Amino acid sequence: MTASDAITIEQAAKRYGGLQAIAPMSLRIKKGEVVALIGPSGAGKSTLLNMLAAIELPDTGTILLDEKTTSLYRNPKDLAKKAGIIRQQFDLVGPLPVIHNVLAGKLADWGFWKSLWSFIFPQEKQAAMKALERVGLSDKIYDRTARLSGGEQQRVALARLLVQNPEVILADEPVSSLDPARAKDIIQILVSLAKSENKTLVASLHSLDLAKMHFDRVIALRDGQIFFDRKSDTITTEDLTQLYQLTEQKQNAT
Amino acid sequence: MQHKLMYFHSKTILTIVMLLTFIASLFSVEWGGELVHAGGWTTMLQMIQGMLQPDFSLEILKLAFMSAWITLAYAVAGMTLAVLFGFVFGVLSSGILLKNRGASHYAVKNFFRGMLGFLRAIHELVWALLFVAATGISPFAAIFAIAIPYSGILGRVFSDIFTNVPEKPLQSLRANGATRLQQLLYGYLPFAAPDLISYAFYRFECAIRSSAIMSFIGLGGLGFQIQLSMQDLHYDEVWTFLIFLIGMVMIVDLWSQMLRKRLVA
Ligand SMILES: Nc1ncnc2c1ncn2[C@@H]1O[C@H](COP(=O)(O)OP(=O)(O)O)[C@@H](O)[C@H]1O
Ligand SMILES: [Mg+2]
Repeated sequence: MTASDAITIEQAAKRYGGLQAIAPMSLRIKKGEVVALIGPSGAGKSTLLNMLAAIELPDTGTILLDEKTTSLYRNPKDLAKKAGIIRQQFDLVGPLPVIHNVLAGKLADWGFWKSLWSFIFPQEKQAAMKALERVGLSDKIYDRTARLSGGEQQRVALARLLVQNPEVILADEPVSSLDPARAKDIIQILVSLAKSENKTLVASLHSLDLAKMHFDRVIALRDGQIFFDRKSDTITTEDLTQLYQLTEQKQNAT
Repeated sequence: MQHKLMYFHSKTILTIVMLLTFIASLFSVEWGGELVHAGGWTTMLQMIQGMLQPDFSLEILKLAFMSAWITLAYAVAGMTLAVLFGFVFGVLSSGILLKNRGASHYAVKNFFRGMLGFLRAIHELVWALLFVAATGISPFAAIFAIAIPYSGILGRVFSDIFTNVPEKPLQSLRANGATRLQQLLYGYLPFAAPDLISYAFYRFECAIRSSAIMSFIGLGGLGFQIQLSMQDLHYDEVWTFLIFLIGMVMIVDLWSQMLRKRLVA
């Protein structure tokens, strides 16, 4: 039943120099699935998400977004409709006011002249306002983005994603610099958005509680490989102990 | 690891070679007594006297003001052209508007890089001489003489500023579906603007000095007046003109600092 796959990974692998960031792996994620990606740091979570967003391409194997190989999305606008990603801070244009960073989510819909015009008179301000309200930042709309705290910047990035409104939402540790209450809020926004509009969500998290509480499926990565891939309610403490157990770092061998 | 180590070593070796070259060059200069010629000391004294008592008579002040105005006008006109061309060439040679990193990407980039190199290979004074020889003494000679090499210099530095813009926010803009031009607008320009502006202002200062010097060959302006007063050994007048030149450069510097502060704040 590939017809309902949002994401199909076929033997995709990625190396950085001598380091195998992602070993050949295969994986399917259906439309509307809400998936958490966990694993120790350096496991390859960011690399995998970047490949799903077509920011990076796999060295070998293929990644299909809605049946189409990521490298074949010639038009960035089509890709932006399919998949959107939020990553950690440093991902926004710091010198611009918050509103322009949020409206960047509309660039796929806008032509050059409209985007130029929007610099002076922000276009579709309502959409930006709504998204900022949803992440609790409506009072910072004209602030210089670089002046915001790390957590606030993560929320601006989320507002931009809401405005972009892609079919597949990718999130790389979207709550890493937020306090627990705010983190729960943001995850709930992401999950409810995915569920109410039948979007696919793949988020990497370092909080296992959040992963188990809000996500249906949990994929654990370790050393660039899938360590386990389960329904979240079947994961035991033992699985997690094994996942995070320290071993000598094999990667440094080469 | 091996790679990084090699890279490190090759950098150290390069540094040592450059230091040795510098030291060798010191030995090839003749440090004899001929550095200052015989009548030099009296002239120097006269100059210092002029510096202490510049000629502030109304007539000279008026002349200085007019000449400063001409010098400034040439510099502004030349810089305006240079900023326009430098910006376009800088963007094109940085490769940020080009899609894939194929052979054509490098061909376009290198073509514009080469053009920029050609533009700045020849000094503005030489251009001025060429233009005067070809078209006679006219403001255009001065303006184009500044505009051509300055386009090359600005383009080169602008290009480097664009390529040093942080990569991650640009990746996100691409993921947002931004076209290359939209990326220029929403990513490259906001990040680069403070550096572009402060470098353009620095070059504007240089253009004022160039414009003054260029008038030595007969194009009006401060340099021309300085030359005339020098020939008459009126060092007090020379200093008046120099003070105007210094004043202009300082005003431009202050202005650029104010602008930059506003942009970065
Ligand atoms: N651009 C890169 N260049 C070199 N190595 C990288 C790069 N990105 C990631 N890596 C390496 O790939 C491995 C996986 O990284 P990453 O995907 O960021 O892991 P995670 O997000 O799970 O912490 C790490 O060992 C990291 O050092
Ligand atoms: Mg990561």
